[in-house]
Amino acid sequence: MPLAQLIASTLLLGGIYALIAVGLTLIFGVMRVVNFAHGEFLMLAMYVAFWSFSLLHADPYLTLIVSLPLFFAVGWLSYSVVMRPIIHTSHNVQVFTTVGLSIVLQNVALVLWTADARFLRTDYYAVALRFAGAVFNWAQLVAFAVAVLLTAALFAFMRWTYTGKVMRATAQDRQAAALMGIDTNRVYAITWAVGIACVGAAGVLLAPIYPVYPTAGLQFVLIAYVAVVLGGLGDMAGALIAALVVAAVEVIGSYVVGTAWKEVLYLLLFIGILVVRPAGLFGQRGAEAFGS
Amino acid sequence: MRTVAPAVVFFALAGLVPLVVRDAFLLDAVVLILIWGASAAAWNVAGGYAGQVSLGHSAFFGVGAYAAALLATRWQLSPWLGLVVGALVATTVGLVIGYLSNRLRGPYFVLATIAFSQVLLIVGSRWRGFTAGSEGIPVPFRPGFWTLGIADKRVWVWIILALAVVVYLVELYLERSRRGYQLAAVREDEDAALSLGVPARALKVAAIAVSAALTAMCGALWAQYVGFVDPFYVFSVDLSVRFALAAIIGGLGTALGPFLGSLLVTTLETYLRAQFGGIGAGFVGIYLIIYGVILILVVRFVPAGLTGWLAARGTRRAAAGG
Repeated sequence: MPLAQLIASTLLLGGIYALIAVGLTLIFGVMRVVNFAHGEFLMLAMYVAFWSFSLLHADPYLTLIVSLPLFFAVGWLSYSVVMRPIIHTSHNVQVFTTVGLSIVLQNVALVLWTADARFLRTDYYAVALRFAGAVFNWAQLVAFAVAVLLTAALFAFMRWTYTGKVMRATAQDRQAAALMGIDTNRVYAITWAVGIACVGAAGVLLAPIYPVYPTAGLQFVLIAYVAVVLGGLGDMAGALIAALVVAAVEVIGSYVVGTAWKEVLYLLLFIGILVVRPAGLFGQRGAEAFGS
Repeated sequence: MRTVAPAVVFFALAGLVPLVVRDAFLLDAVVLILIWGASAAAWNVAGGYAGQVSLGHSAFFGVGAYAAALLATRWQLSPWLGLVVGALVATTVGLVIGYLSNRLRGPYFVLATIAFSQVLLIVGSRWRGFTAGSEGIPVPFRPGFWTLGIADKRVWVWIILALAVVVYLVELYLERSRRGYQLAAVREDEDAALSLGVPARALKVAAIAVSAALTAMCGALWAQYVGFVDPFYVFSVDLSVRFALAAIIGGLGTALGPFLGSLLVTTLETYLRAQFGGIGAGFVGIYLIIYGVILILVVRFVPAGLTGWLAARGTRRAAAGG
């Protein structure tokens, strides 16, 4: 059994999943909102990378640098227009607002760019790298490295910057934070924008590896939900580890039962976690029945 | 809305349409309004009355559609039997899902229901030996009422209308019975209801099972009407959203609301289809963009839905007049 290959594939895949999942879990932790449109922002970022490459001949890794501020702005805009008015309402309203946003974004992409699957192929795409018996390509390695770097940067940001501390304070107790003079609406806007910037970066990194089409986000975001719930909704370190666990399930599952049924494995894992320990591996018990 | 008068008018009008209208396009629109209305009302049993907001109800719809289609193609049995079998299987699936996700609330419950429907989507599209896999199943047309091979759309209006009335009566039961009041108590405050001795857990599971059975019946009849079962459609999240959307627009937890919501959404869809001509990507996209925008606007500005809005206006007018 090619153990080295399985480990390499798990790590490379897990890094990308982690970057999608940390944005999702950050938004949930601070705002208590499950963003059902997360995958659509990923899809938009994949299209940005694709069009920059095919129209402007911009290398996806150049696009990546532009995409961070771009998707921060997209996040800020979508927060102001769509999320801000409903941030203090019930879960149902929030769920259906993000579902509505997801439908709109998916179909804007469908109308603008049709349902065709598009491929971004850089000339160095096919270059195979070998390391300790494992084979992988350049795009996967860069995606992994950048994903790890950005996730680490986000952790540092949350831990050491003033804004990060304010975000964590709001996550812990939004009322106490407001009483301490924190402008929670601004914190929510920043959180949402940072979460979208993360998934935007993930989208650009994925574009050279996976085809893009209007519903491309769905498969990745389902995995991100699994990772986020597994790690404990709102727990960033948990999401990171859980992303690797999910990647391992997917890689080993594909190897053992074949790629056709691998989704069933992580969906069953997901349902199992929700049933047995919905607070996730590291979360606090009872979080699944939170009332706030 | 405590009075049934608007509902009687609504269903009576729907029943009278086939007597005056011969146009196949219009009759088709009425059938679709009723079937999506009935599906949304079935969703409402769990999502509205029990507060168990699900985005995985297409699982039950798909089970119903597959039961009827498989019984007809594999064993040459009547789709009516398929309707019963589909309802029974969906009840079982609903009991399992309801039991397993019993303590989940809010977004957790939504995520769990999506995951269950995705599992069924994969089973439906990959288990080639049994379900014919991702190609889907064409439902054979065998003329006759027993085999549901009915070309006359007027008859379809009445068949679907009967189902719609059944679902409506279940909703009415939940509005007027002791069980219904208990369910409302669970929806509003589960802990308080539990402390008063209301069997909250059992009621929630039962609501999902009943909702599942009714949704499966809609799926079974839909499969016969359309004549084709595509796993990527009948198990899709989009379909689940459609049920929820019609119920939310019409008014969550109101008996007639889902039908009014469906009237609005389905009419819009039919109108746009006629406008943009045929089922091109352009049409589907533009229709769905409008649909998403409506969803965002409704939950933001009229969270009580059409019925709630009308009721509030009525109250205000009565207050102003008296």
